Amino acid sequence: MKLARMLILTVDVLLAISGAVPLLKHILADTKPSVQLEVKNAQPREVEDVTQNAIVRDYTLAWQAITTALANNSLQPLNDNFAGFALDKLTQRVKDQKQNGLTTRIVDHGHKVEAIFYSPDGAAIELKDTASIETQVLDGGTVIHSDQAQIQYYAVMTGAEDRWKVRVLQSVAK
Amino acid sequence: MRKVIYIGIVIALCWFAEDCARAAELHVPQNAVAGQPLSIGTSGSGTLYLIGPGQVIKRDFKSGGTVEIKGEELRSAGRWIAAIRGDSNLSQVFWVKPGKPGKLNFLARPSRVPVARPNVISGVTFVFDQYQNLILDPTPVNFNLSVGGAGSTKTVTSHDGVAWINSASAPKAGAAQFVASVDGTTVTRVVQQVAADPCERSFRMHVAGHDANRLIVETDPIRDCSGNPVPDGTIVTFIQTDKSGKSTVDARIKKGTARAELPASDNATITMAAGVVLGNELHVGGK
Repeated sequence: MKLARMLILTVDVLLAISGAVPLLKHILADTKPSVQLEVKNAQPREVEDVTQNAIVRDYTLAWQAITTALANNSLQPLNDNFAGFALDKLTQRVKDQKQNGLTTRIVDHGHKVEAIFYSPDGAAIELKDTASIETQVLDGGTVIHSDQAQIQYYAVMTGAEDRWKVRVLQSVAK
Repeated sequence: MRKVIYIGIVIALCWFAEDCARAAELHVPQNAVAGQPLSIGTSGSGTLYLIGPGQVIKRDFKSGGTVEIKGEELRSAGRWIAAIRGDSNLSQVFWVKPGKPGKLNFLARPSRVPVARPNVISGVTFVFDQYQNLILDPTPVNFNLSVGGAGSTKTVTSHDGVAWINSASAPKAGAAQFVASVDGTTVTRVVQQVAADPCERSFRMHVAGHDANRLIVETDPIRDCSGNPVPDGTIVTFIQTDKSGKSTVDARIKKGTARAELPASDNATITMAAGVVLGNELHVGGK
């Protein structure tokens, strides 16, 4: 009798864990990714402390926006954090995904970012980002692709009215 | 009984082998370039999804063969995913490189600058292909800064997609054409080069007239040390000091000179300044 109770309890705990894990994963997916910025090699201008903080904040927000936009096929998060070519491309991606019934789930495991160019007038900064990213592409509810990889990105950010916005975001083969 | 099991296993193996033979295959290219056609080898039938950084392409295919993607369809450089849903599900990652230079993003600062100053003009160029992909391979970028036909050209090779220069402003005032070009793609920005501060050597005034109540002083034509006229609208401050105190007049340069009316005085000293530059000193009246 006691054994049966223990067995039922164990099964209940396992069921609870199996329900909690996807929920936790979902919550984690919506949290901000970690971004570590290194600025010592930035040329030709030194990156000021205030700018460093702003870049970390806004680049983090940009990646959070990508994750949300591609998972929900929504454009609003992109408009707040992207401009120019990057906004054009991501907008098109979201529209195409929507049209084809796809979504992309990104689990962002963090970014090691190096500032490689900071313009003499302080208006534009170029970043080299090594991102650890888990990607799942879903057709309806079915996963049609899944991978985890370290991907290198080049990003160009420019100062906008109240924040830095990503103007270029391009992945390159290592 | 054993025979039945044996036959069952053989049938299952055949089924599996047949299924494997029909299963879709996916051969993605290793050297895809944005703007160039692409062939993807498949077998079986199903739907091919190409999911790129800035677009998604979907193609249904039957009986295998290659799926052809037109050059103008393949616009985004970067990491792509090719995924098949059909007889079997497969996916692969492949990379697309940017095409040839076709667009320049040229930032020239500042838009207005004094003449004859070292390293005051900066030009920053990001090099893209015609589909707005950043070209990371080193690319020579020509910068040309000229005023009235005279100027200088410098070639800088881009690094990580960006090329930049710092340049001195020319000694001559005027609208400078700042041009960045790569392989026939040219972008022009205008940098207005204006006269610098007045030159102390020639920043002089004289009495232009007087009557019982007022004294009129006027500057000589005001120029910077390169001989360019200081722009109209620049403020010149005249200060008259006498026993009754100090009178100050701010006058704008108009048609190259500044002029002020001051209270008449039988013994006064008048000084003038434009920004940080002081002009000559005048003594009027007295003995």
